[in-house]
Amino acid sequence: MSARDAIERRVRELTTDPDEPLHQHAYQSPLRDERLAAWLGASLGILFSICFVTGLYSHLHQHPLSWLPVPSRPVGLYRVTQGLHVAAGIASMPILLAKLWVVWPRFVSLPPIKSAAHLVERIGLFPLVAGGIFMVFSGIANIAQWYPWRFGFPAAHYWVAWIVVGGLVAHVGAKWAIARRALARPSRRPPLPAADGVLGAVAEGTHPGLSRRGFLGTVFGAAGVLTLTTVGQTVTPLRRLALLAPRDPAVGPQGRPVNRSAANAGVLQSAPSPDYRLVVDGKVRRRLSFDASQLETMAAHEATLPISCVEGWSYSARWRGVRVRDLLVMAGAAPTATARVHSLEQGSVYSSSFLDHAQAHDRDTLLATHLDGIRLDLDHGFPLRLIGPGRPGVNQTKWVTRLVVE
Amino acid sequence: MFWVSAIFGWAVIAYGVRGLLHHHVDTRPSNLAKFFVGGALAHDLLFAPVVLVVGVLLARAAPRPARGWLQAGLLVSGFLVLFSYPLVRDYAKVIHNPSSLPHNYTANLAVTVGVVWGAVIVGALGTAVGRRRSSRRARRGLR
Repeated sequence: MSARDAIERRVRELTTDPDEPLHQHAYQSPLRDERLAAWLGASLGILFSICFVTGLYSHLHQHPLSWLPVPSRPVGLYRVTQGLHVAAGIASMPILLAKLWVVWPRFVSLPPIKSAAHLVERIGLFPLVAGGIFMVFSGIANIAQWYPWRFGFPAAHYWVAWIVVGGLVAHVGAKWAIARRALARPSRRPPLPAADGVLGAVAEGTHPGLSRRGFLGTVFGAAGVLTLTTVGQTVTPLRRLALLAPRDPAVGPQGRPVNRSAANAGVLQSAPSPDYRLVVDGKVRRRLSFDASQLETMAAHEATLPISCVEGWSYSARWRGVRVRDLLVMAGAAPTATARVHSLEQGSVYSSSFLDHAQAHDRDTLLATHLDGIRLDLDHGFPLRLIGPGRPGVNQTKWVTRLVVE
Repeated sequence: MFWVSAIFGWAVIAYGVRGLLHHHVDTRPSNLAKFFVGGALAHDLLFAPVVLVVGVLLARAAPRPARGWLQAGLLVSGFLVLFSYPLVRDYAKVIHNPSSLPHNYTANLAVTVGVVWGAVIVGALGTAVGRRRSSRRARRGLR
């Protein structure tokens, strides 16, 4: 036999002999089945869609479009959407890994390309799979404040989300018919080996170990355990179960967490200084200036509002302070005025934040001096912080020193 | 359906790639590419094969009646360990913010995994008792 014949025979064995490692029968688990893949894929599609929509909502808050104002009410809307974003992201981790495990034989299935459509479908899997892994990994690392990368997390997480969603749309189109068939009632379903040569062939029959239903239950159970041990960082009644949450809504200065301490912001000297002033200027008839004790005397309005971090933790608290709209009236600003709030903190993208017309004139948008009836801690923004309804935590600017009317 | 969604999907992908490149000061495309490609390679060539090998070894070594419960316990524990890794390593400590990562995550992970294995043992015993009862009933039925 020539060398060429020997190689050809060996290749044929590798790809057709049920006992050879490249052949589908080598994957003995009964769990690699089309129906399981469809269940996991549909669940993942729903979770990724929740993450995408809620992420887009947060992006709109932080990068406002003039033609698409974001609502500030209900006051808890941002809190709910971002709690959901992080919870759905965490829950998708076990489901993504299980889904990839179930379909892994396809990664090495032969022949690698069957048609033009198959080629397009396989290429399209790369942005979906690599992007999905990237999004879940970077999201989980970010909430644990682990930054092993050099890129800016918000921008990278945002743009890769588009890549994943594009991959998801193409994948749903490619798998729609198969998934519908696999998720149909048993009476309408073809037997598995007929349905899917790669995944179905080994799926039939009894097998010691986890059944398909048991495997699905385990993966969803893992997602449930992860949710239960983390979601208390935003669903405060479950706080005591939140053993693995990166934040505890009752731990921090004044019993409340912060994302950025006064030391991190470099305001340890300037914030408590007797030279501190709040200045109201810009498009005003009267330029105003107040020291910390004047502001404390003026603080008469109370509002119960949440602080909601984009990283998925939040708490609701009672705030006391001066209404921004009252300051605008005192300074003689136009009724159409908007405003920008500036912090003592220098050189951060979050050193200032914008109040659109609705926010600036909302009765509950305050420059607060008190949290839960106690003078603000330095880490919470002493002597003055912004707090408004339905805003991202990063836009509730702390250590406020200037209100520029626009 | 296939071609319509493929064209639309690839247009959305192109929009994402364009955004990444356009905002290159923030996204650092070369560094991002390392994590994007590296994550997929690490999963497909390292993580997945290791899980496959562990699965094969488990299938050979684990006693049959307990195998399902053992697989379930290992899977849930594995997911918990993966999620908790950056918390246990306490990468946030460089930030010196006392309210971030406020717990002892090594202890909390141990408690959570302990509860999972408690449930696994209870479940496995329940299965064993149920099986014994049904086989006794079957024997009685034969008489």
